[in-house]
Order: sequence, then structure tokens, then C-alpha cells
Amino acid sequence: MVRILNILAIAALIGSAIYAYTIKYDTIFHAETIVKLQHEIKREQDTIGMLRAEWAHLTRPERIQALADKFLDLQVVALNQIVRADSLPGKAPRVDAIGRKLEALGLGEPTNTPGSGSIIDPAASSTPAR
Amino acid sequence: MSDRFDAGFEDKATDVPVRHAGSRARVLKTLTGIFSAKPDKSAIRIRLAAWVFLAVYGIIAAKLIDFGLRPDPPQSIKRAAADAVAAARPDILDRNGEILATDVKVMSVFAEPRRIIDKDEAVELLTAVLPDVDARELRERLGSRKGFVWVKRAITPKQQQEVYRLGLPGVGFLAENKRVYPNGPVAAHVLGFASLDGIGMSGLEKYIDGQGLAELHGAGFNLTPENLTPITTSLDLKVTYAVRDELAKSIVKFKAKAGAAAILDVNTGEVVAMASLPDFDPNTPPDPRDLEYINRLSVDVYEMGSTFKAISVAMALDLGKVNLRSRIDARESIRYVHFTIHDFHATHRMLSVPEVFTYSSNIGAARMALMAGVEAHKAFLYKMGQLSRLRTELPESAEPLVPKNWGELNTMTIAFGQGLNVAPLQAMMAVGALANGGFLVTPTFLKRDEEDAKKDAPRVIKPETSESLRYLMRLNAEIGTAKIANIQGYFVGGKTGTADKIIHGHYSKDKVFTTFMAILPSDKPKYLFLTLLDEPQGLPETGGYHTAAYNAGSVAGKIIERTGPLLGLPPRPDLPTQPFPLLAKLGYAEANQPAKGGGEH
Repeated sequence: MVRILNILAIAALIGSAIYAYTIKYDTIFHAETIVKLQHEIKREQDTIGMLRAEWAHLTRPERIQALADKFLDLQVVALNQIVRADSLPGKAPRVDAIGRKLEALGLGEPTNTPGSGSIIDPAASSTPAR
Repeated sequence: MSDRFDAGFEDKATDVPVRHAGSRARVLKTLTGIFSAKPDKSAIRIRLAAWVFLAVYGIIAAKLIDFGLRPDPPQSIKRAAADAVAAARPDILDRNGEILATDVKVMSVFAEPRRIIDKDEAVELLTAVLPDVDARELRERLGSRKGFVWVKRAITPKQQQEVYRLGLPGVGFLAENKRVYPNGPVAAHVLGFASLDGIGMSGLEKYIDGQGLAELHGAGFNLTPENLTPITTSLDLKVTYAVRDELAKSIVKFKAKAGAAAILDVNTGEVVAMASLPDFDPNTPPDPRDLEYINRLSVDVYEMGSTFKAISVAMALDLGKVNLRSRIDARESIRYVHFTIHDFHATHRMLSVPEVFTYSSNIGAARMALMAGVEAHKAFLYKMGQLSRLRTELPESAEPLVPKNWGELNTMTIAFGQGLNVAPLQAMMAVGALANGGFLVTPTFLKRDEEDAKKDAPRVIKPETSESLRYLMRLNAEIGTAKIANIQGYFVGGKTGTADKIIHGHYSKDKVFTTFMAILPSDKPKYLFLTLLDEPQGLPETGGYHTAAYNAGSVAGKIIERTGPLLGLPPRPDLPTQPFPLLAKLGYAEANQPAKGGGEH
């Protein structure tokens, strides 16, 4: 009985020791990961800062203007080209352009489709049936 | 660990069998006392062991104190490096969040002279990799007894690799913050620049240090760009660029010595754009003592010429000495002792107040100032902030040059802008107050809203006077000297100013300093534009004239045309129907009619 208890105690001791060490090494591992991540974050932040500066440098008005003068075939905007939205002419009434065109050509009347056409226009029935 | 070691030592001491035969009985007795295993003899042994331990611990304690007190060498290197490394500075942004100044990380090479074995060889190798380092000077620095010296700041990654490959002991790298200004010379005068060590030397950079940043660094706070709040300035990068571009073109065109331009928000006092040429690139700052590169708008003082007439007319109107229908005698030049005041556009007749303004009559302005009297004139100019130093966020400023014995003659000349030198920004502040309804708002270079600005802005003139001045400036743009800047759609008002420069104590006839002030829109002013040119030349297309209307005015017109849309001002196709309601109420209905004709004045 005592021996079993001893063995259990030893097993518990070893177990707890292993557990304690596992936690310890895990902690060390996590701490190292944190430090590593912090370094990475720092590096990323530095890179972001560098890229921001570079972006600002590349989009500086001086450079954009030079590039626009060189590659774009545009004129400087004149003041009379700028108008308010409400001074634009109102939307014109909806026009069915195709319908008007058809009407002008005298094709405005309902067409006589074969089959039903015979009822509307007897003249159409003169076409030979197939 | 130590427990086990002590135990072993004790075992050893007790196990050693001692059989000594000494000559002297006392020595023998002591020794037997020490090494005897008998309990009654062990007291002396315990005491000895106690003394030995006490001594050992005493030595350890003494050594610890010694270590604590003595600064150890690696520690001091680190501290020297921390002191030497450029401190982080907050970003400076424009009003829309564009970057005007920021920090980037760069590597710098340092050396610890004490640890370098062969200094001559080190110098040779380092200068081979870093060609722009002076070999003699580097040898001198490495020969010094310092623990830490910089070899070269801010090197490229390639250079870093090369230096690393040299494998020199005592040479290392440190990451540093380097201040960069992505836009180069745009807004350089407002930003100023920071030294390699991250200390603001001028402009807003110096202002930031004054706001407590330097103290924080000094106290050893580890500040990184991430935990510093960015500074938002009042400048608009795109507008500032456009202003500088137009100014640079016109300086070339009119062969001027220098020039400056600025846009001020009259309601908030924000300086939206500022350019002074010649300027510099803050990434490679010039010698700060070189006066060529000063900010002509705030660090230099000038006789502002006829733009000052706006202030004189405002004074006469505000004090009730004249009204818009009063007539001023401009038939004869004024003689005072041996001085004569005459008009550039002489009319030789009685002029109404609006005519004095549009003809830019010196005689009329002088007479109006005399109506107010010397003391009232002085008091009014003082109230308008023209006689004391204007302080903004920029650490550099200039004291106005006020005549010591201010008599009637001074009042007369100052009325038309000669005889009192002020910083142009200061004059802008006053004209801004004339335009915005009468509040003297101190210009600022930081973003601010109108409520904040008007909170402690004193009222200096009546609203009616302000509206009269707006009417006069508008009239001047319609039919007067400011016609060139009358950009359709913006309802511009303006005033020209041409001051003869003093050369060897005399007013020169051919060297002039021209200024132009424009407000827009005149009915509800938002922005005040100032342009000034130093010694512009007459051109064939301007008929050889070098007065402000032809040069400073034309620049202002171009700037207004180009920056108006950028400033968010929509051009109005029609003129406002009732631009000056207060004047209409006072019985000047003609103010609301567009002026016509006026001929060539």
C-alpha cells in the first residue's frame, strides 16, 4: 500500500515537474514570439513610414504637373468650364427616338404579323400561305 | 547550487584526519581546536568559519557597491548612442492630411575609438567604402578619447552592407530617424527644417520643439513617430504649390530680385498658402545666416506702398471724418517744408473718397490722415497691429520700423504707405480685418476654425466701414488700378501698391517694390491674396511700366484663377445682386450697381 502510494507520489512529482517545465518553456517560447512579432511590427511600421514618405514624394504636385504636361493632352481647366450642378439644364422629357423615326417613315401602324395579320388587314392575306 | 557546494566543503573539512606535531604548544592547541572532532573544541572552529563567511560576503558586498558606483563601459556607449541618435519628431501634415514632413528610419555608422585596433587601417577602409567622408577629419575623430563618434549619418543599405563586410571591430550601425520633406522647397519657409540630430532649427519645426517636445526628449522619454500626434498646419499643399509656381514664373518674367505671395483666410486667420522666393530645399538646408533665403513675408519689413491707403481710408471712414460722398482736395500737390507730395495719376481736381481709392491718390490719402490727426493715426495703426511685432507660430519675426519722431509729415507719408516698414504678413492681418467685418484675427499656421479665431479677435472697425472698404476694393477692381486681377466669376476686389525703394537714403525712381492685395469674393470675403515683387522691371508688353498693376497684379490674377477652384470657391456666372446691403441701407444705393467706364485709371 505504502509502496503504491510512493509510486503514485513519484509519478505525480514527475508529472507535475514535466507540466511545470512545459509551461515554463511555453512561456519562454511565447515571450520570444512576442519579441519577434514586436520587431516585425516595428519593421513594418518603419516600412510604412518609409513608403508614406515615398508616396508623398512621388505624388508631390511638382512631379505630377511635369508628368501631366508631358503625357496628357489636356488643357488647363478654365473657370467658365466650372458650373454648379443646379445650373445645368434640366432633364429633357423622355423621347422615343426610334418610334418617332418609324412614324416619320409611315411605319407607325401596327404591323401585320402572319397569322393574325389577316384579321387586321385583309390585303395581307394575298400573300400565298405556306 | 551554492548549498551543495558549501555542504561538500564542510564534509571535506570534517573528514580530514589531523595529526600534527607542532613545536609551540599554543599553535598546536589552536590547530587541534580547529581540526578536532570533539564537540567541546568546536566552538572556536565555528567562530572561524563565521568570520571567513563574513569576510567573503563583505567582499562580495563591497564589490557590488563598487560595480554599482562605477559606470561600466558598455553602458556608457549605449547612453552616448541614445543621446546622439536623432530624436523622433511628429509628422507635419497639410490641412487635407498630405504629408509635409515625416521621419524615416535610416542606418548610421558609428565607431568606438577605444575598441578600434588599427585606426589608420580603419580610416582607410571606411573612406574607401564611404567616399564622401573626409579621411583626415575621420582620423582626427577616431584619435579622440571619446567613447562614441559618428562616422557617417544616414547611409544607403548598399553602403551598410559594404561597411558590414569590412568586419572592423568597434564599428557598428544604429537605426536613426531622418527628417524628410517630400515636397522639397514647397512651403519650406513655413516648415523650416530640423538638424541631423532631430532638433528644430527654424519655422514650425522649431515651434514644435518649443511646445515641449525637446523637454520630453531631454527627460529620456522614448518617443517614436507612432506615439506622437501629427501637427496639422493651415497650409494647403496643392494651393501652396500653385502659388509658388505662378510666383516663380512671374519673377522670371519681370526679372524681379525676389517675390512672395500668400493666401490668408480672413475669417479664421489661417495662412492657406505661402511662398517666398528665392527659397530653399529643407532636405539640404542652407546656412541660416544667409539673408537671401529669408521669409520675405514675415522676417523682412517693407514700405507697403499704396496698399496702406486702404488702412488710411478705413481710419478716416471709421472715425467719421469722411463718408463715401465726401470730396477731398487733390488739386494741388502738398508742400511740407521742402517735401512735396504729388500723385502718380495726377487729376488736379476735387476727388470723392472712392476716387481717392481708385486713382490711388497720395494727396487724398495724406489729407484724410491729417483729418484724423497724428495721435489718432498712431493709435489706429497701433490698434491694427502695425506698430508692434507680429508673433505667429513661426519663431522668426521682424519688428516694424516705426519713425522715432512721428510728426505730421510722417502721418502724411505713412497714409500712402511710405515711411513705415512692416512685415507683409502684418499688413495682410490689417487688410484681412478691413475685409472680414472688422475683426483683427492674428494669422496662424495651424489649422483653426472660425469660432476659435474670432473668440479673442478684437473688433477694430465698424461693420459698415468694413463693407465700405470691400466696396472700394471691388470698385477698384472694376474700374481702378486693380482691373488686371478682376477674374470673372469671383467678384474680386483689390488694391495695388508701388513703393519706391530707398537706395542710399533716397527714394529711387527706377527701383520699386510692388504689392497687390486682393479679396474674394468681395461681398462675403473668404480669402485675401497678397503678392509682392522686389524690383520688377518694366516689359515691352506692359508699356515699360513697372508699377504694381502690371506685375504684382497680374501674378495675383493668375494665382486667383488657378487656386480659386482648388480652394473650393465655385465661380459665379452672374454678379451678386445685392453685394453690399449695409451700404444700401446707409443710402449708397450706387454701391450695388456694377461700375462702368472709369477710363484709364
